[in-house]
Amino acid sequence: MVARVAGVFNEQLTEAIANSKILVVGAGGIGCEILKNLVLTGFPSIEIIDLDTIDVSNLNRQFLFHKEHVGKSKAQVAKDSALSFNPNVNIIAHHDSVISNDYGVSYFKQFNIVMNALDNRVARNHVNRMCLAANVPLIETGTAGYAGQVELIKKGLTQCYECQPKAPQKSFPGCTIRNTPSEPIHCIVWAKHLFNQLFGEEDPDQDVSPDTADPEAAGDAGASALSAEGNTAGNVERKSTRSWAADTNYDAEKLFTKLFGDDIRYLLSMENLWKKRRPPTPLVWDNLPGKDDAPIQHSGLPDQRVWSVHECAQVFASSCSALQKDLKSRPEGDHLVWDKDERSAMDFVTACANIRAHIFNIPLKSRFEIKSMAGNIIPAIATANAIVAGLAVLRAQSILKGEIENCTSVYLRPKVNHRGQLFVPERTLTAANPKCYVCAPKPEVGLACNLKALTLKDLTSAFKEGLNMQAPDATVEGKGLVVLSSEPGETDHNNDKTLEQIGLNDGCALLVDDFLQNYEVRVRLQQEDEEKSWRLVTDADTPMPAPKEEEKSANGSNGGSSGNDPKPGPSRPKEDSESDMEIVEEDDDEPTMKPPKRRRTAMSDEVVELC
Amino acid sequence: MVENNEMELSEAEAEQYDRQIRLWGLESQKRLRAAKVLIIGMNGLGAEIAKNVILSGVKSVCLLDNEKLKEIDLYSQFLSPPDKIGENRAEASVQRAKALNPMVEITTETKSVDNLTDSYFTQFDVVCATGLKQEQLERINNACRDSNKKFLCGDVWGMYGYMFADLVDHEYSEEIVQHKALKRGPDDTEKTARETVSITVKRRAIYVPLQNALSVDWMNPEMRSRLRRGDPSYFVMKILLRFKDEYNRNPDPSKRKEDTAILLRMRDEIVKELSLPANFIVDALLQDVFGTVSGAAAVIGGVIGQEVVKAVSQREPPHNNMFFFNPLKCVGFVELYGQ
Ligand SMILES: [Zn+2]
Repeated sequence: MVARVAGVFNEQLTEAIANSKILVVGAGGIGCEILKNLVLTGFPSIEIIDLDTIDVSNLNRQFLFHKEHVGKSKAQVAKDSALSFNPNVNIIAHHDSVISNDYGVSYFKQFNIVMNALDNRVARNHVNRMCLAANVPLIETGTAGYAGQVELIKKGLTQCYECQPKAPQKSFPGCTIRNTPSEPIHCIVWAKHLFNQLFGEEDPDQDVSPDTADPEAAGDAGASALSAEGNTAGNVERKSTRSWAADTNYDAEKLFTKLFGDDIRYLLSMENLWKKRRPPTPLVWDNLPGKDDAPIQHSGLPDQRVWSVHECAQVFASSCSALQKDLKSRPEGDHLVWDKDERSAMDFVTACANIRAHIFNIPLKSRFEIKSMAGNIIPAIATANAIVAGLAVLRAQSILKGEIENCTSVYLRPKVNHRGQLFVPERTLTAANPKCYVCAPKPEVGLACNLKALTLKDLTSAFKEGLNMQAPDATVEGKGLVVLSSEPGETDHNNDKTLEQIGLNDGCALLVDDFLQNYEVRVRLQQEDEEKSWRLVTDADTPMPAPKEEEKSANGSNGGSSGNDPKPGPSRPKEDSESDMEIVEEDDDEPTMKPPKRRRTAMSDEVVELC
Repeated sequence: MVENNEMELSEAEAEQYDRQIRLWGLESQKRLRAAKVLIIGMNGLGAEIAKNVILSGVKSVCLLDNEKLKEIDLYSQFLSPPDKIGENRAEASVQRAKALNPMVEITTETKSVDNLTDSYFTQFDVVCATGLKQEQLERINNACRDSNKKFLCGDVWGMYGYMFADLVDHEYSEEIVQHKALKRGPDDTEKTARETVSITVKRRAIYVPLQNALSVDWMNPEMRSRLRRGDPSYFVMKILLRFKDEYNRNPDPSKRKEDTAILLRMRDEIVKELSLPANFIVDALLQDVFGTVSGAAAVIGGVIGQEVVKAVSQREPPHNNMFFFNPLKCVGFVELYGQ
């Protein structure tokens, strides 16, 4: 179309567009807009991949979808709608995850440009690696509310998506969640954990009962007396919250009494915790605040009204019974997955979070607010997506025109900066971090762990979660010994052995590779007795000596990123404040991948540290 | 000013607008729901503005256009299907416009703006004009101004674009985020947490009409000092408005060579008239002004769409009063002209 009308573009660009092939990853808010622009401009050959189906809450911005499309494949409907703008274009739609053996390096190599319109870091990291391996320019996009950005990633020319460590996901110490919540979010995290304990995938790191190992409670004069009592209470816990609940047949009153009465009384007995804090108040099922209140006049959305504790208890009872029914209807061993858009699941978390908040004298929140926090919803609007997608396609045109060196990152600011700029381009391309463990010529990274405690299974998850690999293989450098194989069964028998038991020691290096990503990294093992899990050390040099206390608290155990490594930052913002904008996530939806399990990303959006 | 009608949102509205209510709040959404918007010019930019405004959930949108759909429109005008070439552009766009959001009323007007009285324009809360000549824009702007109605206009030429806004006397609220140290207790030993508190302040912005913004005196020292900042986008707009005025059309891709020569001549005239530095408006800027490039229409349409939302919802500072997109640098900026 346009490219074929002589005169809109110069001949060279017209020609380049006519011969181009573009991959769009993601058919959400930005993906729909990108697809529209490409099709109208006359890009003749486009593929689009998206795993998702259409939801009502997409319709305020994902304009290729209408009400009648709810529940259908985003990629397919986007294709059909876009073709109606220009039937002469060839679009191939894949209702699929981009993280798949079907989309290997050779698949990526057939495109002139890959455009990312994703909503999660896991997929972004993966596409980053595929484009590096295939040596294809990647245009990475994202918006959050009014803000957004467009960034070019090209091997050898710019930094990659993983060059700068991303801010670790927000984390809360386990003892804050279990013993001493002080903010609404602590209660919400606890409520989501409770959901998993009762109906979801049980995770030992998501215990909801009082944590007797809380260091603050230790040294308590009454600790020994307590532990006697603790044992009986503790024994009940050991039985697992789920089977205890099942034994009571999910009786709302009994569950309530245990969670919001007995457990709170137990916490009260850990007196050290309450010396400087306001102690919690246990609740009694049939005498709850708000029971006799007359209904109050409420303006605003129904979900924006804050429920009384009495109402919360009623919702607790009804949602429990609905969820139990759902669980029962599933095959043995199956479990529920918490979803902010499932009414009962969201009701349950709202009710439990608020009841707990009341107990700890924390302000109660509406279901509307709790949904934002629990579901990690990033607001999204049509205009910001349109602007970012427009800029992304203009950048794609520049690349095809042979002006890739001019394609610096552009930020859409929520408000103009001091120079009146709303779209702020960087002055230069940002060079790659030479220590990047993904795009450096010889990628290398340290893995700090306790070799006596970390098992091979843990190591696998370190590679998957920490290094974002899909199917890692690992051999010992210099020896060729296979430690970990992605072939099912080959190394599984070692899963529960510690690294020490399989002969790995401090300073030893592993060559770890992911076949699909065509990515290999040298991983140096560093013995740290106190490391409870594992932590990546991304600076190739030994970390500079830092003040002792700070190092301790900074390291914590929320590894996965070296954001805490004290190193002179090579490429922090220039004079303008705009360049420090975080890479923003496009959408509110859960990651398209099943979130990795264990410690670090317990529910894909929050992290629980062990005390 | 758009009145917030006190009717509560229906469940369907709450569901569909959830992600934006979480950004701009329920009050804004209610104000949007009461707003009547006129969009003049169903070219690529008009279609982008219409899409954004309809998706936002206003009460009604009227699409005004007296031109017929041409093939070249299809390269950016996605609301009209290819098989409607030859039909009126507003009417050809209705069906898809309605499908974007069935909760918004869509109407059309096929008369030329010259055949409509001032009172026609002032029945709307916001008027967005594209594709008109300078005198037409000024006339509609003044009519809106006299009735205290919001007026925006803009155009996209190739990859280049601008927007102008006259919100007359505009009151709005702005959320300001403050950081506060947070202490949990008197002897809190934990690292001091920081709490962000947002407070809402009321503000007011005074606008000037388009004719003031377009007749700036560049001999004025304050204006001349702006030249040092070096972005010539304002003058690109002047050149293109002059082209439209003289030739009654936009630069035509099929006459790229001849029209480029005209544009360069006009550039030289303007440089002389306003005593601008030589080479201030580089040739390259006048080479990407043919047709409507879809990406640029999306960008300018996104900016104008968001300004309509701000104008109606009276929330967040609106741009005062001109926005330019310079495609050579990929920069978009706001400047105040004519005050
Ligand atoms: Zn890198």
